Amino acid sequence: MLEKPTWKSTLKGFLYLLPALLILIIFNIYPIIRSFLMSFYTDYDYFNDIVHEYGFDNFIAIFQDPNFITALKNTGIFVLGVVPISIFLSMGIAVLLNNKIKLAGFFRTIYFLPFVTSVVAVSIVWSWIYHSDYGLLNYFLGWFGIDPIAWLNDPNYAMPALIIMSIWKGLGFNIIIFLAGLQNIGEQYYLAAKVDGASAWKRFTNITLPLLSPTIFFVSIISIINGFKVFDEVFALFNGRPGPANSALTVVYYIYQKFYEEWQFGLASTAAFVLFIIIFIFTIIQLVIGRRFVHYN
Amino acid sequence: MDIRLNNLTMVFDDITAVDQITTTIKDGELVSLLGPSGCGKSTTLMLLSGLYKPTSGQIFFGDQDVTKMDAEKRGIGMVFQNYALYPHLSVLKNIMFPLKMKKVPKKEAMERAKEMAELVQIGHLLDRKPGQLSGGQQQRVAIARALVKKPNVLLLDEPLSNLDARLRLEMREEIRRIQQEVGITAVFVTHDQEEALSISDRVMLMKSGVIQQESRPQEMYKRPENEFVASFLGNPPINLLTMKKIENGYQLEKSAHSLLFSNLATYPKSIRVGIRPEDFFVTKDNPRFTGEIIHIETIGRDTLIRMQIGDTTIRALVDPVHQLKVGATCGLDGKEENIHFFDSASGQRIETVERGEKHA
Amino acid sequence: MVKDALSKGIIYLLLAFGAILMLLPFVWMISTSLKSPSEVMAMPPVWIPSEWQWENYQTASEVAPFGRYFINSIIVTILSTIGELLTTILAAYAFSKINFYGKGIVFAVLLGTMMVPGEVLLIPNFVTVSNLGWLDSYEALIIPWIASIFSIFLLRQYFFSVPTELSYAAKVDGCSDFKFLWYVMVPLAKPALITIGLLKVIGSWNAFLWPLIVTNSQELRTLPVGLSAFTTEAGIKYELLMAASTMVILPMLILFFIMQKYIISGVARTGIKG
Ligand SMILES: Nc1ncnc2c1ncn2[C@@H]1O[C@H](COP(=O)(O)OP(=O)(O)OP(=O)(O)O)[C@@H](O)[C@H]1O
Ligand SMILES: [Mg+2]
Repeated sequence: MLEKPTWKSTLKGFLYLLPALLILIIFNIYPIIRSFLMSFYTDYDYFNDIVHEYGFDNFIAIFQDPNFITALKNTGIFVLGVVPISIFLSMGIAVLLNNKIKLAGFFRTIYFLPFVTSVVAVSIVWSWIYHSDYGLLNYFLGWFGIDPIAWLNDPNYAMPALIIMSIWKGLGFNIIIFLAGLQNIGEQYYLAAKVDGASAWKRFTNITLPLLSPTIFFVSIISIINGFKVFDEVFALFNGRPGPANSALTVVYYIYQKFYEEWQFGLASTAAFVLFIIIFIFTIIQLVIGRRFVHYN
Repeated sequence: MDIRLNNLTMVFDDITAVDQITTTIKDGELVSLLGPSGCGKSTTLMLLSGLYKPTSGQIFFGDQDVTKMDAEKRGIGMVFQNYALYPHLSVLKNIMFPLKMKKVPKKEAMERAKEMAELVQIGHLLDRKPGQLSGGQQQRVAIARALVKKPNVLLLDEPLSNLDARLRLEMREEIRRIQQEVGITAVFVTHDQEEALSISDRVMLMKSGVIQQESRPQEMYKRPENEFVASFLGNPPINLLTMKKIENGYQLEKSAHSLLFSNLATYPKSIRVGIRPEDFFVTKDNPRFTGEIIHIETIGRDTLIRMQIGDTTIRALVDPVHQLKVGATCGLDGKEENIHFFDSASGQRIETVERGEKHA
Repeated sequence: MVKDALSKGIIYLLLAFGAILMLLPFVWMISTSLKSPSEVMAMPPVWIPSEWQWENYQTASEVAPFGRYFINSIIVTILSTIGELLTTILAAYAFSKINFYGKGIVFAVLLGTMMVPGEVLLIPNFVTVSNLGWLDSYEALIIPWIASIFSIFLLRQYFFSVPTELSYAAKVDGCSDFKFLWYVMVPLAKPALITIGLLKVIGSWNAFLWPLIVTNSQELRTLPVGLSAFTTEAGIKYELLMAASTMVILPMLILFFIMQKYIISGVARTGIKG
């Protein structure tokens, strides 16, 4: 039981909260409001921190900026490329790992390794793997008679290169979540199904898949949200450029360009605001539908 | 050091958990707080400890008013129902913890903790974690932890309720032994009457936050001050019969039985008569109560019978030498001093009943 | 039975194939980092260098101050982890064990802000940090990151599971609130704190975008920022690039091997991505 709140306990409570709250207000809450306001800055003097004019100009401007449209499109393609394949693969691996095999822990560790590594560092490693003349990937493709591909310099292949690497990086995380989901499914369902003579495939489609659906949903949303935030990979893989001919320009990269390279704080904030709206929509979907799933389970 | 409670009251939202308690607990005494669930025993203990602060009233330790003093400053030891041992600390560290908080030098703390562990006979378990101990062992650790800082008062909140029957018996003697050895003032909360009656110097029986009676265990049993006390103590429970005033005495409802009194003018219209089952004896010699036996069962050495008189059922524990049968008629009587009278309206004991002659 | 053994075999085969694919980039990285320039460009690729060129690591450190980057990363990682643990412990205690006016509102607001992606905070935080005069300083790298709503939320859940009677016992034993937190709650919450700390260490070590924009001088770069700059500095010397990448990746791999139990269980329980 907690004692009822009093002024004394309130003082104490806020004293304990003070360090965290101070940081969070300055670097989390205030910037949210500020960012929202900034997206309406039409005329801003960064050096003196003076706003001359507010308005919707930024929103009009970015949606008329072909680069922003490209960034939105690319980010969409990235998400569509990464999420389904990653979920398909990680679920498959998780199901295999869940088969009470001896080396499950060992495999899990290996699949998880990329998760703990620096995106920048692994992107540089991958840029070497993607090297058109001496890269490992083209070498392997050569075995199948495929001509060398200029992964990082051909605008048609830049996005696939980014997608392949991102799947590799994120696989372990999804596997862990799926394994946790699988372990929540009671043994009794499988035993019952076995007694009924259901084949492994039938058991998968009739038991695993439906009971795992909340997890699949959760992983999808998380992956989508994270997909929309992709930046480090692009920056490091293409050596500080958004891919050849903007072929890997993503929304966050666009924000970075506008903000850090062009000092267009208003436009950058507006783009960030659009990103927030996109992510917010998926968060809401998760909260609303996800809750229903939980009940259903 | 005496503990004095003065009009102590604790109100939660809409419930008065402790209601105007005034009493004194003498130095070195072991007092049991007894009562049904929710009567305010734990709350009283929490008030004594300082973990709760009362809505009104005062608490004195000796001459000092400690009402507003925080728990950590009151110098009390407390044993909780689930022992509340620190799961991450070894037995030794658990016992040393209060000393560490008092900044007692480590070496001395270690010695005192070990001494205390010996007293409660867990000297061989010092390196274990609480999770590796049985309930009884955990309880000993909890007692040692409570006693190690030499507190003025030891408070125990149902410390035995998690133990099995045998161990309970053993441990309550153990607690008594330790308490007397250390000579500490102790308050012991329980809802087990047998425990309370056997262990304590004095029992306080509570109901709805009010002390119903405080007295020595035997006295409480022999001379209950009100109907609640009478009915709370004893197993099987006391028989309580409602009797209505008639011309020259009281009559059991819907029955020919009556008890005759002289000088009725000052007595209430209706009384409750209490007789404990074991205070009955079977007699043919003009019994106060006669009725048909409707049930017989053997409990240990005794025979428990249920007898029907009109609408009322009486339970009696009788000597098996009487060859009783279900369906037979039987006469029961009790000694004068074992028959208790209560005012039906107030439930208070009627003390000065001048008993008239028996029903003819 | 035969069928069972066969399917087990296929499972192992699939898993092993996948594991090789997962490991390949790391193997390739380390292998390249130890090669001589001529072996780097060899076709077909050489897997095990004929002579291990350890000096590649030294050369890389000479071309760019990786020692300095390393120290910076360690300073930033350690300080922001300690800072976050401290603020988290205090705040989680307030949210779980103290009842105070406004608690519900404050908590709801904090939870709400968790929906906002960090990228949105980037620009205003940059402005704030530059107004504070912190650009290109350790303060900028550390202080904005020493509080995390998510960690507070996580630890609060853990603190809830500590029974109230334990706090009563501690009070009776002479603990003030703070001592109870320090001597009882914190040791009890050790597994949760280790998990929170490890996730923080990983996140902090690998952080890129923020350190990239708030540092200008070489002296303050963290490893990922330094490494990213190195790609320009090293040109096409892949053996040096791979040596540098190994220096960034290896510490986390080692940490992971030692503490993987906490890391994996933490991720499984919380479902957060670093
Ligand atoms: N923190 C609290 N807030 C509100 N009501 C409370 C609180 N603590 C106790 N009460 C109420 O006060 C009354 C007395 O409670 P208390 O815990 O003292 O009973 P108890 O005699 O110890 O009972 P038990 O034998 O079940 O432990 C009960 O009605 C209970 O519901
Ligand atoms: Mg109680």
